[in-house]
Amino acid sequence: MADMIELYHIWKQYQKPVWALSDITLQVKKGEFCFVSGPSGSGKTTLLKTIFRELVPTHGQIIIAGKNILRIPGSRIYQLRRQMGIVFQDFRLIFHKRVFDNVGVPLQVLGMPRKEMRRRVFNTLRMVNLHHKIWEFPASLSYGEQQRVAIARAVVNNPRIILADEPTGNLDTELAFEIIGLFKEINRHGATVIICTHDKEIIRRFAERVLFLHSGKLIGKEAV
Amino acid sequence: MTIICLSFLIIGVFLSLSNNLQFLARQLSENLAVVFFLEKGLSPSDTEAVMRTIRSSPHVGQVRYVTPQEALRRFRQRFPQLQEVVAGLGLNPFPPSVEAVLKDKTAESADVLSFIDSMRRVKGIEDIQFNRDWVERMRSLSRLARAVGFFLGGILVLASFFIISNVIRLNVLARKNEVEILRLVGASNVFIRVPFLMEGIAIGVLGSLLSLALIYGVIRIFPVYLGSSLGVLQEIVNFRYLSVGQCLSLVAGGAVMGFLGSLSSLARFLKI
Repeated sequence: MADMIELYHIWKQYQKPVWALSDITLQVKKGEFCFVSGPSGSGKTTLLKTIFRELVPTHGQIIIAGKNILRIPGSRIYQLRRQMGIVFQDFRLIFHKRVFDNVGVPLQVLGMPRKEMRRRVFNTLRMVNLHHKIWEFPASLSYGEQQRVAIARAVVNNPRIILADEPTGNLDTELAFEIIGLFKEINRHGATVIICTHDKEIIRRFAERVLFLHSGKLIGKEAV
Repeated sequence: MTIICLSFLIIGVFLSLSNNLQFLARQLSENLAVVFFLEKGLSPSDTEAVMRTIRSSPHVGQVRYVTPQEALRRFRQRFPQLQEVVAGLGLNPFPPSVEAVLKDKTAESADVLSFIDSMRRVKGIEDIQFNRDWVERMRSLSRLARAVGFFLGGILVLASFFIISNVIRLNVLARKNEVEILRLVGASNVFIRVPFLMEGIAIGVLGSLLSLALIYGVIRIFPVYLGSSLGVLQEIVNFRYLSVGQCLSLVAGGAVMGFLGSLSSLARFLKI
């Protein structure tokens, strides 16, 4: 299968002399489901941020779906991000907007008609079992529910790539398994999924492939 | 909003004042007449000769002879409160005169002055009154009012620009999280910026519309309060409302200022 994400000799330095990422080279195939693991400060989040070009690496090349994303001008980055769904550890929900509007944001930026948007948001929320809370505000939801809203927002526009940064952080094991199960389901529909986690239990249960990072270095690319 | 409104209010009031003065100047120049006061007891043939001389000038349109009786009647009509003063004199103090209305555009030319100077030497003419100075004064006052208005308004418009810029900056900061999310889900720069720009334009337009409403109120209410106590000045302070073009210019100015204010703020504080 063709590679969806290719990283070649990625180096990233925030400030001298520490390298947040050191010579990372890896490929993730289309439709693959993989974890990036490692202790806190190992560079997991930095790696994800370089993939959706929130950060520009100091050196190296990043190719997404055959396109070198470092050559995309800043004003065109949105086109790359429309192909991706990103889930953050802190959810990043808009708290003054309802669940419907939060999940519908990626469709809204595409200029989708309201009727179609409503259908898509409802179906996605049904998938994460939150359709009955569509008109509620995020503040009235539990932690796990907020996380599921963030996941619904990441998948609502059927992106080709899902990037999730510690999506199960601070969740109990049962809820964490449920969330990862959701990503598995999304992956079965064809999306390439990369999840950053340091939860060994989750990796043991769900991992097909794990990339281990330590002090910014890739120390193992294992297929489980 | 208050400062934006205030800045346009000042421009508007001075524009209105300028309009008023220009209107007066135009009225004066339209009726610009030269009055030739004749010597008392001038014979009808000499009077006719003077009128012929006046008529022969290419600058002069209509010419009319005003008898002392008519001049007295006019005076009584215009200044009824001074009737007793004239009655106390026991005789008619007004000399006969000839009123010559100047042709259009003539009032502007320097030739008129030389014509009037030459007329001073004509036998039978005692004095000449020409109110061109008033027209000039009105015009320069109008220009001054407009300049002061634009100067003060300009300073306030600049202040409004920075205020709008700061309002948008605060909004950008307040919605930083939302903007960040929009960026990450693939919103284009235009998609993110347009609401802020619209907000800036709306603030500018609303501020200028509010100022137009206030100007309207001031123009309606001001003369009522001052009433006739102003006398001759009433005509000057009796502001005429702005023309449609001026109103539209003020609103457009508000929109442009709002747009530029938010644009500058976005350029500085919304790094996307």
